[in-house]
Amino acid sequence: MPKNTENLRRGHAPAIEARGLTKSYGSKTVVDGLDFQVHAGRVTGFLGPNGAGKSTTMRLLLGLERPDSGQALIEGRPYAELTAPLSHVGALLEAKAFHKGRSARNHLLALAQSQALPERRVDEVLDLVGLHDVAGKRAGGYSLGMAQRLGIAAALLGDPRIVLLDEPVNGLDPEGVFWIRNLMKRLAAEGRAVLVSSHLMNEMAVTADHLMVIGRGRLLADCGTAEFIERHTDPAVYAATPDVARPALLEEAFMRLTASAVEYSAR
Amino acid sequence: MTTATLTRAGDAVRPTHRPGMTDLMRSEWTKLRSLRSTWWSLAAMIAVSVGFTVAACAVYTHDFTHLDAATQTEFRQDTIGLILQPGVQFASLAVSVLGAMLITSEYSTGMIRATMLAEPRRTRALLAKAATFALFVYVFSELIAIPSFFIGSAITSAHASVSISDPTNIRAILSFGLFMTAMGLIALSIGAIVRHTAAAVSLVLALHFVLPGVLSLIPGTVGKHLSAAMPQGTSVVVSSGHNAGNLYTPAQAGLILAAWVVVLGGAALVSVKRRDV
Ligand SMILES: Nc1ncnc2c1ncn2[C@@H]1O[C@H](COP(=O)(O)OP(=O)(O)OP(=O)(O)O)[C@@H](O)[C@H]1O
Ligand SMILES: [Mg+2]
Repeated sequence: MPKNTENLRRGHAPAIEARGLTKSYGSKTVVDGLDFQVHAGRVTGFLGPNGAGKSTTMRLLLGLERPDSGQALIEGRPYAELTAPLSHVGALLEAKAFHKGRSARNHLLALAQSQALPERRVDEVLDLVGLHDVAGKRAGGYSLGMAQRLGIAAALLGDPRIVLLDEPVNGLDPEGVFWIRNLMKRLAAEGRAVLVSSHLMNEMAVTADHLMVIGRGRLLADCGTAEFIERHTDPAVYAATPDVARPALLEEAFMRLTASAVEYSAR
Repeated sequence: MTTATLTRAGDAVRPTHRPGMTDLMRSEWTKLRSLRSTWWSLAAMIAVSVGFTVAACAVYTHDFTHLDAATQTEFRQDTIGLILQPGVQFASLAVSVLGAMLITSEYSTGMIRATMLAEPRRTRALLAKAATFALFVYVFSELIAIPSFFIGSAITSAHASVSISDPTNIRAILSFGLFMTAMGLIALSIGAIVRHTAAAVSLVLALHFVLPGVLSLIPGTVGKHLSAAMPQGTSVVVSSGHNAGNLYTPAQAGLILAAWVVVLGGAALVSVKRRDV
């Protein structure tokens, strides 16, 4: 009964799982034995200083890079084993992933065709990200924020259960930032797993239910956002801060935790 | 900002069927047709190819009575080659640039990541791209070869007769498309291996237009055979094969060309499968 085992596996497997995930470039180990799970129904913030390995981890999860050792699993399977993968996982990567000479509509249409998705879905996601009016224009002419919206449209094209966003608010105006924040919350509320990396602590403090923090490729923390703040802020400061203001302490908590793991800093 | 839904409840967004090779090829076709550079290259290819055919046929026909006996014989025995071959070099240049850029532009713009996320089985992704491109180039090349044949045979009719009912001519006309398709696939393969447009285009040009000349400098028959076995040398497939100077028959040349495609294509598949995106 393959169907049943499939359901069982999907029921029990976490949305995303890394097991001993390791990747080196030359002699530098960028992702170092990561073990974590990302669960459905919440926004998981993925934090770490520059060069900590967040983007590399995401590329490993998506099968764009092969790990030297360990496993990256999507609902219990390697990404490469998914059929119509965009219906399982939607991803916005740090670097652009579209051809400059092609319009947003044609870019999305090509992706939809590859997944056997109905063509109307292209217009739906164009509406969703607010790119309808420029959908016929060359994507190379888009502003940073528009390009980011196109990446988000591609990520949501297949109505995926799992969404990976690498610095999604990069280049967005305040309205765009607000929109992304609500979008992520809504995706999680709908039961999807959302993994999002960001350097904006205030943004993460109000969006993420759960945090994973890495430094130099190693997992430094993996817990609820409130618990993280409580655990890593100066106890005196924490006690003196009223409940409503505590999200503002995330930045300090993050700095304290990662102080020893910062590789690139101004002197 | 609109408030379109993500359509989770009820109206679920699902693939209409399990996506297969035809879906990937439709996707690749959308990608190919939606770039302006595709149409420029092909417009240039048609204009120059047909133009060269007309020019060569007109010059030889006009000067026919002044040609030496050997050239006259060649004209009569390989009129189809005279008609189809003048445009071969330029057309293969256009197809090569298009083929190389088809993949290198994906690497340079980052599109390759979207492609590989959509089809993580990378050899399938590359095969779909190659198959779509091959079909497209074949059809397009025949749209050049067939009119060229009729124009060329009309111009040369005073001194030679080439008939569309002659199997040799049909073979040559159909081979024009195959030759161009092979040129496109060779360039696509090199592009997939080196990933950078300038490097890929330079390598392809060296393979087609520099290396044959260099190899022919090797003394003895070895150099000439090597040179004729280079991809451009195999353009004898678009001739009658009756020229005294031919080292390989069209059938042999076709096999040599197929070997080039298989070897370079295989190397490209291995490279794409092994390396990170
Ligand atoms: N293809 C590559 N070749 C060599 N080194 C690489 C490659 N990709 C990433 N690195 C290195 O790996 C380290 C981790 O990079 P990564 O982009 O994953 O970090 P990050 O956490 O996303 O950083 P940021 O916050 O700046 O985006 C960096 O030191 C980077 O220079
Ligand atoms: Mg990054």
